[in-house]
Amino acid sequence: MTKTYDYLFKLLLIGDSGVGKTSVLFRFSEDAFNTTFISTIGIDFKIRTIEMDGKRIKLQIWDTAGQERFRTITTAYYRGAMGIILVYDVTDAKTFENIKNWIRNIEENASADVEKILLGNKCELEDRRQVTKERGERLAVEHGIKFLETSAKTGANVEEAFLTLARDIKTKTEKKLEASNPPKGGAIQLKSVEQNRKPSSWFSKCSLL
Amino acid sequence: MEDDLPSEHDVIVIGTGMTESIIAAAASRIGKNVLHLDRNDYYGGLWASFNFEGFQKWVEECRTLKTPSDSVSKNKDLLKDNEILVSCGDQFSTVSNIQEQWHIPDFASAGDNQLSEVKEKDNNWDRSKVKDLSRKFNIDLAPKLLFSRGSLVDLLISSNIARYAEFRCVTRILTWFHDKLETVPCSRADVFSTKDVSVVEKRLLMQLLQLCAEYKPEGNEFKGFENKTFVDYLKSKDLTDSIMHYVLYAIAMGSENTPCMVGVEKAQKFLSSLGRYGNTPFLWPMYGSGELPQCFCRLCAVFGGVYHLKRSNNDIIISKEGDEAVCDGIISDGQRLKARHLVLSVPDAPKTFLQKTTATGISRGIFITNGSILPSEKESLTLLQFPVGKDREPITVIEVGPSTHACPNGLYIIHMTSKQYTNAVDDLKVAVEKLLNTDESDGLFDEAKQSPPRVLWSLYFNCPDTSKSDLSGSVPKNVYLTSGPDLDIDFEFAVKQAKEIFSKMYPTEEFLPRAPDPEELVLDDAEETKNESKEAETEKPDE
Repeated sequence: MTKTYDYLFKLLLIGDSGVGKTSVLFRFSEDAFNTTFISTIGIDFKIRTIEMDGKRIKLQIWDTAGQERFRTITTAYYRGAMGIILVYDVTDAKTFENIKNWIRNIEENASADVEKILLGNKCELEDRRQVTKERGERLAVEHGIKFLETSAKTGANVEEAFLTLARDIKTKTEKKLEASNPPKGGAIQLKSVEQNRKPSSWFSKCSLL
Repeated sequence: MEDDLPSEHDVIVIGTGMTESIIAAAASRIGKNVLHLDRNDYYGGLWASFNFEGFQKWVEECRTLKTPSDSVSKNKDLLKDNEILVSCGDQFSTVSNIQEQWHIPDFASAGDNQLSEVKEKDNNWDRSKVKDLSRKFNIDLAPKLLFSRGSLVDLLISSNIARYAEFRCVTRILTWFHDKLETVPCSRADVFSTKDVSVVEKRLLMQLLQLCAEYKPEGNEFKGFENKTFVDYLKSKDLTDSIMHYVLYAIAMGSENTPCMVGVEKAQKFLSSLGRYGNTPFLWPMYGSGELPQCFCRLCAVFGGVYHLKRSNNDIIISKEGDEAVCDGIISDGQRLKARHLVLSVPDAPKTFLQKTTATGISRGIFITNGSILPSEKESLTLLQFPVGKDREPITVIEVGPSTHACPNGLYIIHMTSKQYTNAVDDLKVAVEKLLNTDESDGLFDEAKQSPPRVLWSLYFNCPDTSKSDLSGSVPKNVYLTSGPDLDIDFEFAVKQAKEIFSKMYPTEEFLPRAPDPEELVLDDAEETKNESKEAETEKPDE
């Protein structure tokens, strides 16, 4: 089967409960916004393929499945992630303060060279704002990562956030490819379609002896 | 963050080991309301994998004597009249005979010269260098492989949980024969190309493997051997010693006492898993076996299961229903949580629940080495069944390298597992002496790779194996105990036990039906149902 993309990037959403991670994900993947999500039940990951400089990039974006609530995100969640979208809610200072903890969590569990971006979501709720844009920017600078204020509701900056992150990963990936130092391959994903040799019987091929 | 847990649940599961996690996922998948707790701040219990620092913390916790908290008396006022409260067990008390040892020096506090010599050369190691690279390690408490056609691979695929994990093929099967290591030819291509056996032997081996692969209970081939050992059968076939050895130890993974039909069935299982993903029948999970329970936990969470780790003070509420004891739920950190069913891992079970349980033991050894037990051009992932003579089961040796994320470049992790006869050190001695160099060294190993490899760090421990025991004897009727890791090389037992417990709780429900792909979920505004999902683009598997 031919590949339908040039690159596959695994991205993660991380941040406190209720900051709008799932809404950001749906705005980007379906261009939809639905206020009835209370939590992340049933949402595993979403896929959207984008085109950038003539390359088709498949973004596989994973949601926390509610395991952020009591800080029980599995170490397995972080495996193989190439980009992380850190989200806080500009109307809830506590979610902003917790970003530091999430960054520590990422440092402990994700690959050292994972790309990150910080998003201050719900920026359309100007009258309820608790975290200024400047504070967000400052935190991002401290950690050397990019920053955007987004609104999953209006769609402001959501597309841009994902594209920015994707571009950074693409640049890094291509640099590695040029240095002919591609990431280690050879891992197997189990699929229902038999992708390898037909097994049937141990002796199914022509007899050797 | 500080919000309380919901107070009513269909199922509460305590312990995030393999079996508990499969049950939690299965219950959540069919819409049951699941609360999954663990006393530790990590997933997996005795099935966990750790980085180096995490592993040392685990060792430390095992060594620290716990004073039991008196939560039972504290929580008395949350009880109704006819109820009693029993405390959960202490998992660390089940781990014994811990022996940890460094075989290289610590230059962190010594002169700068030595430290820089260690840092500059990839082949040189001291303790501080190992610790600095802590995060590059994923060391398993209970390392296990998956048969490519085993029940866990089937379950991972049929439930769609496979998307959370990646695997590598075991690349070679070794055996210990005539006091040296040999690669066992197990695929047709291997048999054909091996130089270790003659053409005549090749033909014999092929014939024998075909007989095993095609074995059916109604056939005649094994008539008369039903009450004999597999060795007796092999002897009847006029095989050479080396072929007999390959088949008995490496392919049937048995010993001289293995009954014939058990040997045949095990050989058949081995052969039927060949060629699905690689030249050996086995897969190893990337980042270690400890990833797999987490994959099931993720599915449970995706379907609404609530997770809480670091939850240590759990007491179980029991009342009498006629003559039978029933469990109403638990009191956890002072909160009363109701449950229809309670699933408990054995290490978490109160002593009173284990009265009829007899445990045998497992001996474990873990070694960080500077090379493979049998160096090869490319990095290998190795399985070896080390024979220990007539009266003992072989020692299972699994060697994993950096490409599985088990350890940093230049190092290997060697796992040894055997049935407990005395203690881990003594039980594994025979294999350790033959395969490894455990001498104290200065850590300056230079360029030349030595064989046997030098051990940098070693750890031995014993833990109980309750897989052969009836765990339902002394528990209330809606409480189910899960055993910890067993001795078998794969996860078949955990899958089987999880299925059994699930079907006791929900006899008519399907066990882990396929979870939909994200593309199949159409979350249109409000009322639209998921039945329209056919319109969603279903992506074909890549490649």
